[in-house]
Parts: sequence; structure tokens; C-alpha cells
Amino acid sequence: MGKPSVLIVGSGAGGSVAAWALASAGHPVLILEKGRNLLPGLGTAGKIGSLFGNDEVKAGRYFENQDPQLEPRTSRTQAEAGQGKARSFTGDVNNLATTVGGGTVHWDAKTPRFWRQDFKGRSLYGPVPDANVADWPLTYDDLAPFYDEVEARLGVQGDIQRMPAGTLAQAPRKAQFAMAPNPPMYGGTLLAEGARRLGYHAYPFPMAINSRPFDGRPRCNSCGFCSGFGCPINARGGAAISFLHHALLAGARLAPRSFVHRVETTADGKRATGVSYRDAGGVSRTQTADIVILAASAIETARLLLLSANGAHPDGLGNHSGQVGRNLMFHYFSVGVGVFDDDVHAWRGPSSTFTLDDFVGPDLGAAAKAAGLPYLKGGICEVGGSSLLLQEAQAYATVPNTWGRQHKHLMRAGLFRKHVAGLSMVGEDMPQLANRVDLDPDIKDCHGVPVPRITYSSHRFELAASAAITPKLTAICASAPGAIAAFRLGAEIAGTNSTAHIMGTARMGDDPRACVVDGRGRMNGLDNLYIADGSVFASSGGGNPTLTIMALALRMARGVGG
Amino acid sequence: MRLELHHDTRRRSFLHSAGTFGLLALLPGIGRGASLSSPARGEAGRFLTARELDTLRAVTARFIPGPPDDPDPGAVEAGVAEAMDLLLAAFTLASLPIHAGGPFSNRAGAAHDDFADFVPMDAHAELGWRIRIEGSKGLAEREFAGPVVGLQDIYRNGLAQLDARARKRFGADFVGTQSSAQDLLLSDPTETELRPFVDAAFAHTLEAMYGPPEYGGNRHLAGWKYTHWDGDNQPTGYSDARVSRSGGGSLCLAPAAQRAVVEQLLGLLGAQSTSPQGLWSDCREPVKH
Repeated sequence: MGKPSVLIVGSGAGGSVAAWALASAGHPVLILEKGRNLLPGLGTAGKIGSLFGNDEVKAGRYFENQDPQLEPRTSRTQAEAGQGKARSFTGDVNNLATTVGGGTVHWDAKTPRFWRQDFKGRSLYGPVPDANVADWPLTYDDLAPFYDEVEARLGVQGDIQRMPAGTLAQAPRKAQFAMAPNPPMYGGTLLAEGARRLGYHAYPFPMAINSRPFDGRPRCNSCGFCSGFGCPINARGGAAISFLHHALLAGARLAPRSFVHRVETTADGKRATGVSYRDAGGVSRTQTADIVILAASAIETARLLLLSANGAHPDGLGNHSGQVGRNLMFHYFSVGVGVFDDDVHAWRGPSSTFTLDDFVGPDLGAAAKAAGLPYLKGGICEVGGSSLLLQEAQAYATVPNTWGRQHKHLMRAGLFRKHVAGLSMVGEDMPQLANRVDLDPDIKDCHGVPVPRITYSSHRFELAASAAITPKLTAICASAPGAIAAFRLGAEIAGTNSTAHIMGTARMGDDPRACVVDGRGRMNGLDNLYIADGSVFASSGGGNPTLTIMALALRMARGVGG
Repeated sequence: MRLELHHDTRRRSFLHSAGTFGLLALLPGIGRGASLSSPARGEAGRFLTARELDTLRAVTARFIPGPPDDPDPGAVEAGVAEAMDLLLAAFTLASLPIHAGGPFSNRAGAAHDDFADFVPMDAHAELGWRIRIEGSKGLAEREFAGPVVGLQDIYRNGLAQLDARARKRFGADFVGTQSSAQDLLLSDPTETELRPFVDAAFAHTLEAMYGPPEYGGNRHLAGWKYTHWDGDNQPTGYSDARVSRSGGGSLCLAPAAQRAVVEQLLGLLGAQSTSPQGLWSDCREPVKH
């Protein structure tokens, strides 16, 4: 008898890593992916191609993203929910790439590790009013070997010699990065110097981008169409290229355009038996498996669990705790922008090449006390970045008085493209019970299935941290050599519907009454159902989440038998 | 990082014109045009009638003006309205001009223009774009989330409404109305019935002006040339020096009209000058690196 069969829902960061680990260990693996494949040759002995290009129009036309015309989501604030309002928006909400490889086909590929303190916030700093702060059921040291292994396969660049001691104390590394940093982006270099003048320390951003040929893929040539764009030359590592490709070569099977809408269980509800889905031809099918792994992203996994309610799980699969869908976390982005006389072309390169950890915190000072909070935390910063051409035009279009000749003056001047460099902080989000995913009571998608509804409002923790730290970001920008002005852009301007950092909704923990999965990613009350995406995060940390999703998925898969 | 600003179309209106411009002759284009032939003035488009297309050209000319209102080619010269007509007619064409192919055009070193080989849609993707362009048309498989008005109807109704409003307010069709009156109609927040059309047309104008020319707009690379934009640059990319060193140029030395709009925008954003003497005071000294 062979090894147990594994069915994985979703081919993104978590699903692909789990597929690779389990297929490599000899398990029969089937991956059901809602999107289509845009990487010709993936999983074959030949070269992996790309249907992506330096094309801003295609990137805005739901090429790799879920089409909200077919699969809308709805959203509302906590206050609107309190007033009984079913929704205030229907359409494009928290869209992640819905394609083979998931969000990593167009991710920024920044790979900071979470810090020791991120896993033990409750023990270290205590509770936060009106937030649901909890420790993770694991430590940094538990996860470190899996960070190492995922990074080695992705091909991560960086320079341990230039990392601050405080960062290395929080996230120790055993060895130097696999490759040297990319050529530093000019605008980022200026901001890094501005930071140095104020006593802060910018350093090369660890990222899964080739600075030298690696894994049969070329080095990055800094085309600048990076975050939000599929790589035309596959210089960027990711779920599909670094993991799924090898999983398929090891025998895993992939079924694109397969929309899973229900997890099936035994009558007693103690085991998952498989899933029900629509195949690429629209035919309803059921697929059985010995082990089921959900990796559809935090919003879609919560939706799937709620859609899978049955007699044994009346409030949604594995939801005896009532926590499924709750504790939804984003990141609160705060942005400082430096204005420069010369062309600093801060769009050219892999979005940004420096990061800065000085505002991660915690800060126990006056700003926290003024907000009635025990502490504040910010996050890492992406140092340097600006807009491409169509992005620039679209940004001006949201400003009053900028049609016609004024538009052409702005586009000729190229302010947002050539003469700014931004400093963007990935601010930590507090988990709140009231920030949640549930099923919209009225709106259905093209499959006739209720769509996820997002109820979200920022906690005063994020607002106070942003208010305290953003002036420091603009101060760095103003201190950069050649800066003639600086300004800030707040997340309250951009809103949260557009963020792609999505966590929580099925948090892991030791107490089954207060969480959804255990420390190994297995769902409470179900012997063979696992989660391998950002939904298991108990805290959001102050950094890009994908590397941690991958490391958790690998640890889970190895626990299952991979 | 993506700069996103406050989105509130109600507050859109035009600035009074600043500065005067000499008229420059159009430079001969060297870019690659759209692979599909385009209708000339007075000819019907693939979806829009000749009259609708002329009205749409006039609309786009207000969004992104060209000569004589502005020295550089604008939306009309770039074929923006023709590209919008192609999108509206997408499902009558042999290949859908919605997702250009990849990974490379032939503008930066590749032999073949992959962009021109549009990516075919599967049934799922096609359904989404049929709903978006054609609307739900009362079909059950398109109305799972309720009726949807498609872009074809938004444009057709919007263009008709534009003429009706122009006749009522100014006594002439939109095309025959003075440009200042045209601006007023397009930016008037009380013209609520025009808003869906104006918002869609403006967004599509930007795409067609600044996107790759394979989509039918950006003719002769007009949108890229006047902004000094390289466009798609793969498979060549940028050398280390072009990434890590200053690109030169100077915002401070830009023409006064440009600086005035930049200064106005920075003021709106609450930008603080690094010098107490004001935004342009440091400009006389060259920046040291």
C-alpha cells in the first residue's frame, strides 16, 4: 500500500510548498486551483515561459487576478455592521492573483522573516484593549530551519553583514544569503542616506529575486515592472517556479480552473473525505483523498470552511470555537515621500532594494500612553519606490483639477514617476474579533455560491502607530541628499480594500476553544484536514507575510509525512 | 510602492489655463502602430457609429489635449478613441484585444512582438469580459449578482446624453460646442447621468494613451515620447549604472507652467519644502552625489 493521498486546494505560496514536500516524499498529490496557468512549460522538462510582460494595461485587466465581475467580494466597516448594513461596497476587495502560483506570480518577493517577538506578543507585552492578542503555538526557533530551507529553494538575495544586530537577534540566521543584493536603486540609496543622517539603518532588502543566474533562471535586469507584474524572464522565485514546478516533476497532478466550494466529511464530522468542486468544463465533481490541505488564502479558506457547514459542524467546518473568519488582519501602510530635483527613477529595479527596521517596535513611550495602549508597533519599511507611467497618470486622475493641459504638464514633469522616492511602512495590524470574513447573505458569484464579505476597521493601535511614525518617515525623506520637499500618504487615503497582505481567519493556537488549527496546522476536531496559508497567523507581524506562509506550510507538510 | 490618492470624482474640475504655448508641428512617428486598421474621421468604428466616434474623439481631446491646445500629441493623435472602440467591439474580432501576449514586444531587443499575439481567453475569463463589455442582457448565466450595464451601453447612452445635454445647455451638439463648454459638461458634478460614461471614458483614455500600442492606442508611441518613457524594456532591462546613478534632468529647470502645476499638487498633498525659502530655492546649486 502506498502513502496516503493528498488533495490540496490552491496552488499559491502555501499550497505549492506543501505539494512539493509531500510529492517529493512519495505521496500522491492533486492540487485543485481556481485559476488558469499563465506560465507555459511549468512542470515539464522544458524551459518555463511567461505570458507576462511590461504591460500596465494587462495588469489592470484581471489577467492573473480574480475578476470581480465573476467573483465579487463585499465589504463594510465595523460601524456599518453595527448599524445592520449588509455591505457598503461590492466588487474588487483584497484581490490576490488567482492563477497557478497564486499571489507569488506577481509578488514583490520581499522575504523578511518574522521576529521572535512576533510569535509571543501576548506573553511578552500582555493584552491590548479591544484586540484579541495571542501567542503562536510555536517559536521562531521552531520555524527557523524551515525558513532556511524555503529561502534556499526560492533563491533569496541579501547581505547578513549589513543587517542590524537587533534584527539578527530577533531573527537569527545561520548563514549568509544565497546571493548578493541587486544593484541598489538610486532613489533608495538617497533615502538610505537620509535615514543614516537621522541615526537609522537601512540595509539590502532580502528578496527572492535572482541577482545571479540560479535554478536555471536568469538574473534580474531591473526592468521595473515588478510588484504587481508577472516577471517576463522568471528572474523572480515564487510558489509556481520554485516549488510547484518541482512538485509536478515529482509526480504531483495539477487541475487548473477547479473551483472547490465544499469540503466533505464523514457523517460524524471527524474526518474530511474530500472536496466538491466545479471542473474546468463547469462539471460538478467530488474528489476523495486521505488528507486534505486548504491553501486558498485567508479570505477564501475561511469562506470555504463556512460554506462546508454540515450536521456535525453547524457553524462551519472546524468552527466550534466560533473563530473561523475572525481576527482578519491586513497591514497598515504608512508612506513618506521625498521629492527630488533630479530624476531619481525610483520605479527602476525590483520595487525597492533597501529595508529599514527601526520602527518595528515595540515602543512603550508617550504616543502609546496617549492612545491608551500598553505599547505601539510599526513595521519594516520598503525604502525607495515610485510609479510607472500609467500608474502615474491614474494617480493624478484622482486629484481634482488635473484634466486637460494640467494633466500633460504633470506627465511631462513626471513628478510621481521620476522625482519622488517613497518610504512605505508595513505596519502591524492588531487582531480583532469583529474584523472578519463571513458569507454575504445576498450576493453570489458566477458559480451561484455566496461570496465572502469582509468586515474591517482599523484598531486605534494601527492609527496611533501610524500617526507617531509617519512624521519620522517624512523626516527621513526630507533628510535625503537632494530632497527639495517631503510629504506623507496615509493608509486612510488608500483604504484597505486594496491590500494584498491578508492574514488571520483560522488562527493557530494551543487552546481549541480559542483557535481553529493547532501548532502543526491541523484543524481542531478533524483528523486529516490541514491549513497551509496566511489564515493560520495569530499575529500579523510588521513585515511581508509570504515567506512565513511558506515556512509554516513546509513545517506542516513535514509533520503530515512529507 | 504605488501612490494612491484620494478618489473623489465629484471634486474634479479644470484649472484655468496657465501659460501659453507655441504650436509645434507633430514629429513624424517611428513607433509601431496597431495591427488593426483604424477608421478615419467620419468613418464608423467597429462598434461606435461615425458620429459617436467623432464625439468620443472630442471627449478624449479634452482629457488629453493635443495641438493646438498643447504642443505635444494628445489623445486624438494617439488614436485613443479608436482603441476604445476596439475594446467595445472586442468580441467581434478574430482575437480579443484585451490581454496582450508576453513576454516581450519587439521594441527592446526581441525579434518577435509577442504582445501582438493576444492571449486567448477560456470560457471563464470570457464570461467575465462579456458581462463587462456587453452587459448581462437579461441572461441568467450573467445575472447571478443582478443586472449589469455593460460598457457598450455606458458609452452609447453616455455619448447620446452628452449631445442632448450640450444641445439643451449650449444649443449645439457636443462636437460643435466650445471647448470651455465641453469642459464644463464633462466636469459638472450635477450632470449625474453623464458620470458613469465620463469616468469609464477617462480611465480608458489613460490606458489607451499610456499602455502598449498593441491595444490600438498610443499611436506612434505618442504617450511614451512626450513623457520620455521607455515603455516595455524587456528583455534588455536596465544596466546597473542606470539603476544606481542619477537619471539627470531637473524638476527645477522645468518650464514654469509645469512647475506651477507640480507646486499646486504638492501643496494639495501638504508637502513641506526642505528649505525655508521655498520649494525651488535649492535649485540653483547642483545636487552633489
